[in-house]
Amino acid sequence: MIIEVENLVCRFGNIVAVDDFSLEVAKGEVVVIIGPSGSGKSTFLRCLNALEDFDSGRITIDGIDVDRKHKHIHDVRLEVGMVFQSFNLFPHLTVIENTMLAQRVVRKRTREEARKKGEELLNLVGLSDKRDIYPARLSGGQKQRVAIARALAMDPKIMLFDEATSALDPEMIGEVLEVMKNLAARGMTMLVVTHEIGFAREVADRIVFMDEGRIAEEGSPSAILDNPANKRTREFLAKVL
Amino acid sequence: MSRFGVNITFFSHGREWIPLGYSEKVVFGGRATGQTGETTGGDDDLIDWLTEQAILYWDILKYLIPAVPYTVLITVCSFALALVLGLVIGVLRISRSRPVAAAAGMYINIIRGVPLLVQIFFIYFGLGSVCNLDRFTAGVVAVGICYSAYLAEIFRSGIDAISQGQYEAAQSLGMTRFQALRHVIIPQSFRIVIPPVANEFIASLKDSSLVSIIGMRELTRAGREYYSQYFVDFQTWLLVGAIYLIMTMSLSRLVKYLERVYAVAGYGSRQG
Repeated sequence: MIIEVENLVCRFGNIVAVDDFSLEVAKGEVVVIIGPSGSGKSTFLRCLNALEDFDSGRITIDGIDVDRKHKHIHDVRLEVGMVFQSFNLFPHLTVIENTMLAQRVVRKRTREEARKKGEELLNLVGLSDKRDIYPARLSGGQKQRVAIARALAMDPKIMLFDEATSALDPEMIGEVLEVMKNLAARGMTMLVVTHEIGFAREVADRIVFMDEGRIAEEGSPSAILDNPANKRTREFLAKVL
Repeated sequence: MSRFGVNITFFSHGREWIPLGYSEKVVFGGRATGQTGETTGGDDDLIDWLTEQAILYWDILKYLIPAVPYTVLITVCSFALALVLGLVIGVLRISRSRPVAAAAGMYINIIRGVPLLVQIFFIYFGLGSVCNLDRFTAGVVAVGICYSAYLAEIFRSGIDAISQGQYEAAQSLGMTRFQALRHVIIPQSFRIVIPPVANEFIASLKDSSLVSIIGMRELTRAGREYYSQYFVDFQTWLLVGAIYLIMTMSLSRLVKYLERVYAVAGYGSRQG
């Protein structure tokens, strides 16, 4: 198992965002996490990347312990790429520089190596022609594709997508989902928090339905989407489908 | 004697209160013109007066100009010190270590709460007696430390203005907090802090005049020297002020230019 989560608990004051959550993800697996707002999906994803502290439980990523004291925090983050809802591209750098910065600073690659890798990945997300412009001149969908290329440039073993298409206009969602499908087809281990049920059905190996910080139900896309056993899952799907 | 100065005599000359000339006591930098304030009537007097004035101003200017480079030098050196110190203190101010952040905060509060003049005295007479500082070093250090506190607050607010998402993106790519600051956050803050930092630079140019008090011969000191030799105060301080004004206004223009240069096309949104 490349990701092992045991009894994870994450609180914000009195609010329990993630409550006794356990999950295992195999290498190459695509797990889609769905659920109502505030059910702890994003918090769980952020815990995996140590962007959020957790209160108890254990997370192991590719054998590395994500301990609460953040001893191995940088090793973990090198294994895990993350794509955010709000893109968070670096606005002072051009598209290609966005993909190169962490390669140079963290992976210590030379300028040439970093540029070659960056160009390769911009090509993969279909944005080779935008490499020398600044992010502010890109559409939302293009920004998110650059963000994916930037994360991939670090050669992560796992990719986390935190509502990657939620901030996009409907006509741009498709281009980002296309890139994500592509990535899944190439065998990337992916954890995807999304409201795109169509994408979940098509790409997910497994769907996890989260409610109030816990796993309410998990299983194959057809099991969850067509024959949900849990009442909360049925209510949720009735609203989003 | 008039509000224009001790040595100017006034004559009612059909016009309202025109200062006509100087009494023979006035020596124009050793070049007495021989023309005194005898009124003979007519426009000749006015022309004489204007000529005398022009010669006087020119004489003062010749005395003041050589001191201008020292004002510039003090300002540039102390502000360079202030920039480096200010950036360090500003970054320490947002440290996650509480004692470090508190110490930086205390530094800022103490320095900002004490008049610069007192700091100059303290460093030159107080510390200077212990570690033997010359006037220039003491002046530069005093102004530099004083402005580092103001700049630290500006840098801190510039860093705070960058969205949390930028840190998270940098950290998710494996950067340490320091790397994120250095490569992602601070370069973006620079553009935000250029106008307030430039204001501080202009203010420090003006405050460099306080260094004259410890005998550092810069523009203000030169003005005092000229005055105490020739007792021409109106014209001397008018010129000193004008020279400061020319320098500060030129700097303002430079800042506007820099802001344009740094405004990279299309690089406006914080969200990226």
